[in-house]
Amino acid sequence: MEANKSNIVKRKERKEVFTTSSGIPIKRIYTPEDVADLDYNRDLGLSGEDPYTRGIYPTMYRGKLWTIRQFGGLNAAEATNDRYKLMYQMGVTGFAIAIDDASLLGFDPDSPEAEDEVGVGGVSVFSLKDMEDMFDGLPIDKISTAVIQAINTTCPHTAMYLALAENRGIDLRDVDGTTEGDPCSFGGCMDLKVNPAPVRQLMRLCGDLVEWCAINAPKWHPVSFTSYNYREAGVNAYQEIGGLVASAVDLIEEVLSRDRGLTVDDFVPHYTFHLASHNDFFEEIAKMRAARRMWCKIMTERYNAKDPRSKMLRFHIQTAGSSLTYQQPLNNAIRVAYQILAASLSGAQSMHACSYDEALCIPTEESALLSIRTQQIAQHEINVTNVVDPLGGSYFVESLTNEVEKKAWEYMEEIDKHGGFVEAVESGWFRAEVEKAEMKREDEVRSGEREVVGVNCFKMTEEPYKVSFFRRDPQLVEKQRAKLQKLKEERDDREVEKALEELRQVTESGENVMPAVMKALKVYTTIGEISKVWKSIFGPIVPSGLAMTM
Amino acid sequence: MERKIRVLTAKLGFDMHNRGMSVVNRALRDGGTEVVYIGNQFPEGIAETALQEDVDVIGISSLNSASSLELMERVMDMIKKKHLEDRLVIFGGIILPDDVPKLKEMGVNEYFPPGSNVDSIVSYIKENVPQ
Repeated sequence: MEANKSNIVKRKERKEVFTTSSGIPIKRIYTPEDVADLDYNRDLGLSGEDPYTRGIYPTMYRGKLWTIRQFGGLNAAEATNDRYKLMYQMGVTGFAIAIDDASLLGFDPDSPEAEDEVGVGGVSVFSLKDMEDMFDGLPIDKISTAVIQAINTTCPHTAMYLALAENRGIDLRDVDGTTEGDPCSFGGCMDLKVNPAPVRQLMRLCGDLVEWCAINAPKWHPVSFTSYNYREAGVNAYQEIGGLVASAVDLIEEVLSRDRGLTVDDFVPHYTFHLASHNDFFEEIAKMRAARRMWCKIMTERYNAKDPRSKMLRFHIQTAGSSLTYQQPLNNAIRVAYQILAASLSGAQSMHACSYDEALCIPTEESALLSIRTQQIAQHEINVTNVVDPLGGSYFVESLTNEVEKKAWEYMEEIDKHGGFVEAVESGWFRAEVEKAEMKREDEVRSGEREVVGVNCFKMTEEPYKVSFFRRDPQLVEKQRAKLQKLKEERDDREVEKALEELRQVTESGENVMPAVMKALKVYTTIGEISKVWKSIFGPIVPSGLAMTM
Repeated sequence: MERKIRVLTAKLGFDMHNRGMSVVNRALRDGGTEVVYIGNQFPEGIAETALQEDVDVIGISSLNSASSLELMERVMDMIKKKHLEDRLVIFGGIILPDDVPKLKEMGVNEYFPPGSNVDSIVSYIKENVPQ
């Protein structure tokens, strides 16, 4: 073919070999030859059509812009409420609650472990009271919220939000939002030898939420499979989506294995996904397109899904926190903008743009505003939202999409050889994969082969930018302990005890835990109290080293 | 045979971001030191393990600038209580630039921010470990 001659003309280039971030070789130029096997209707089709490569909805951003869903949470619920109101004024169209580590792991503020941990990494949320204070005056009937979780308090934190909505008179069937409670996320990212996690029990709790929401809260997305976390911990683009699909499949199997009358079309339409948008611009675009095609294929071929929504990979994008640098922090704003652009060109349903100071602290008001504006500029000024899948048909992008997909399927086979995703996580194989990939990346940064501006090239001895930092409220733990004390004085302890006993019974019997969790939350049972019940049945769900201080 | 330098490494408190820790653990092992990695741990447990394992170096990692200073203060208190002041203490991860002098004042020997070359951590330990 004439056009391909350019590939063989010998010219000196900057490098011997060009590759993507995950190591896929990149040619100088792509031609029709590279997509000769592409069958338009089979492999691409129109947006809103099988296999959804080009987008899951026919009109995409021409119909509705992606949701600007900024992940946020700081200090106590009241401070987070102020921040949410500010962000709402600035134009966010969705919230995502960043919950502090103590609440995530099931420790109330009065536990010794929480001493210096309350409000670290997010907002302290230990009872329905906190959820009420956090959303005071905010229109939760008009704006959707994501409850960001990964560990044993997924069900109670979700129940808090749903109970809040019910108490405000919103029908459970109309509550819109997402629980991001990927049950494998913790085990997939942590070294289980030193930090064990009861992966199977977390699968069970997540399955309970999926099953319960399918019947009771159909607009709620009960799970968002979070390949973002694996990516951040180290894996590359195709490993990310291979793991993503494998983990979502395992939760389908978990729910189906209960044999309680649900078919895939009853619950898979409520699945959502949370991917990373990292630095390799075209590879990330190829990855997101490939992931959509993979999901459609697996739901069609393996599960024979009939409802088109079961085949649509709805996804949230978070820009890559691990790509942010401590050095020259304002540079991070530019990295984020490119990552947001990649996601805009890929048809994400919602996005979180990281803030330039996130390699240092929780975002300040100033940096949080810039993250919102970054998305608004992409939505309203640069016209990328006028057309669906603008890169579809590019020889390069289609060829790379095929290549990423091929490698992701191979990676899924590899996971299957290790017993499927849950098994691969439990055995530590997947975590070893994460670590291996991270070591490779680290070696590349160390050798200079992978360039990081401000870190291994274009370094400066003095920090060039003045940025302000967020600091946690130093009195927070005392405040939250006082709030807990007051809560315990005001609530009906007999109701709490009754609810906890019921929770214990359904947990042990294998019934769905959600009705009992909802009841418990409504009488102001705390996260710590619920966790204690589960810890007594499942064993400790905390990093094991912590047991020494208990 | 020369005794290997023993290094205790730990993630501080609840912080679950362990990417940096893995990279540092590998560099320490490759650099010929013996690493005792205990995963997530609170100050009391870190000091207690350091005593029991009789390590030369205590290396602590955290990504949370919101708690690292407070927790490190507790670590240093526990180290004093257990008479381990002669051990080299290094902290890696995130602390606000304004807080770095405070970290040094409380007795932490060295701080390695994100992006540090891991080889520099190994050579720092070899040059500064108490004989």
